[in-house]
Amino acid sequence: MVSINYSAREVCCKIVYYGPGLSGKTTNLQYIHSKVPQDTRGKLISLATEADRTLYFDFLPINIGTINDFQAKFQLYTVPGQVYYNATRKLVLRGVDGVVFVADSQPDKMDENLESLANLEENLVEYGYNPDELPMVIQYNKCDLPGVMSSDELNAKLNQKGRPFFHGSATLGNGVFDTLKLIIKLVLEKAKATGKGEGAARPAAQAAPAPPAPSVEKPYPETAPAAATAPAPEQQAAAVAEAPVVDQPAEVAVESQPLAATAEPESQPLAATAEPESQPAATTAEPEPREELSREAAYRPYPGSEKASTERKAPALGRSQAEELPAEALGRNIGAGTSDRQEQQSTVASTPQMAPSLRRRGENKKRGFFKRLFGIK
Amino acid sequence: MSDDSLIIYEAEITKIDNLLKKMLKGAEAKCALLVDKDGHLITRQGFTHSLDTTALAALLAGSFASTKEIAKLVGEPEFSVLFHQGKKDHIHMSIVGERSILAVIFDDRTTIGMVRLYAKETAQELSRIFQEILDRHEPSPGISNEFADMAQDKLDDIFQD
Ligand SMILES: Nc1nc2c(ncn2[C@@H]2O[C@H](COP(=O)(O)OP(=O)(O)OP(=O)(O)O)[C@@H](O)[C@H]2O)c(=O)[nH]1
Ligand SMILES: [Mg+2]
Repeated sequence: MVSINYSAREVCCKIVYYGPGLSGKTTNLQYIHSKVPQDTRGKLISLATEADRTLYFDFLPINIGTINDFQAKFQLYTVPGQVYYNATRKLVLRGVDGVVFVADSQPDKMDENLESLANLEENLVEYGYNPDELPMVIQYNKCDLPGVMSSDELNAKLNQKGRPFFHGSATLGNGVFDTLKLIIKLVLEKAKATGKGEGAARPAAQAAPAPPAPSVEKPYPETAPAAATAPAPEQQAAAVAEAPVVDQPAEVAVESQPLAATAEPESQPLAATAEPESQPAATTAEPEPREELSREAAYRPYPGSEKASTERKAPALGRSQAEELPAEALGRNIGAGTSDRQEQQSTVASTPQMAPSLRRRGENKKRGFFKRLFGIK
Repeated sequence: MSDDSLIIYEAEITKIDNLLKKMLKGAEAKCALLVDKDGHLITRQGFTHSLDTTALAALLAGSFASTKEIAKLVGEPEFSVLFHQGKKDHIHMSIVGERSILAVIFDDRTTIGMVRLYAKETAQELSRIFQEILDRHEPSPGISNEFADMAQDKLDDIFQD
């Protein structure tokens, strides 16, 4: 489904390029990547075999800009066309909003086209889609090659439902943008609010205005112990207690933990029984500025999902704090009971790849926790 | 499938962000991403500036999706936690409720055990929030006609050979 994120202020649609192996799906994305303005696209990611066959998917995020204060984003994916990759192919289809079916126009590829089309419908149905209602555009690719089939021949076999189609050559770029623009149009059309006047990303006048987030950034410390760099007042006690863990043998650090540690905010998870502790999220978080910087937007090459949330914080639909969940829903923690502890230990055992020293530290630190929890001296 | 969209409002995101912040502080981890299983980034906290979070979200979702299929094939309902260890940075991923993934990136100033402990709790709290959101059974409002029309108008400018 089209995902609408009111916090990040973006509308995001997923478009999947489907079709038989070697039909040119990846080439479509490569062409798009090479031609659209840099600030419009993100990185093209290809999970491919050494022979450049798609193994899992290609992924290209496109951001066509801000409209009514919402960013319009499209995530383009390709599937692996080879028959035996159906397991991963199907995964890519999950949550799709529109499909481009890239067929190979060469006569000897018709069977593969048909098989792939049938497979597409099958997978869509398994996900609960009605294939006839999903926005879809067909691209008859490789029309630059000699001896390819005509529109009529291709449509007769592959387009009995009368879907929109283009002839294309992904290597030359013919039809690539026509296909993309049409599928985006269809997806947007389908996503339109059914009711009148409602819907996200209405004109700015209707949305509550909000101040931009403050520009404060702390670099992630590369060397200093994390605790020491965050001298938030309510955390200082914790910092003092925790910091030695970094350099000293864990055993010592653990022993030095006062049992009164339940009072420190850091012990949230185990403080489930101490009621007053249980609404920290609401209280601690507010004073902290969001990490993002408005000024950053100026030089970010790709206005990706990073940005939007910094700019504004008001909901588009006029929902607000009134909608907030009860405070208890938040801070109340799970009891760290016996089963928790057991699972915790088994986790450690099941992560053999952890360096021994790290593991020991982890165990010791954890033991410190449980000591605190159960009041063991 | 096509109508199970999750409508998350600002107030809920704030709540989620606060939980993530609390977790990062407690676990002394670097950053956290919350991603839906379709590969969309829901929110992120911590030091994500140098990260391509859009790509990360898509890859994390893909990674989890394939792991889930692997689980099925070996007769497990789900591997609920994934952990990748790097030279310097490590990543811990866990499932939140039915449809989201919590990824925590951390380095050697903390431990996998701490991260796991906090991530587990946070995942449980997050899944409670998601459940409440789902329980609203709120249909997607769709996007406004104006938004769709204006976006469509932009296409010709952006996609030129
Ligand atoms: N002549 C011609 N060759 C094309 C065209 N489109 C793609 N090719 C070539 O066909 C081959 C396969 O293209 P890909 O884009 O990798 O095919 P794919 O559909 O992604 O294949 P899988 O990843 O296996 O599913 C490459 O060598 C391309 O250069 C086209 O329009 N015309
Ligand atoms: Mg490919």
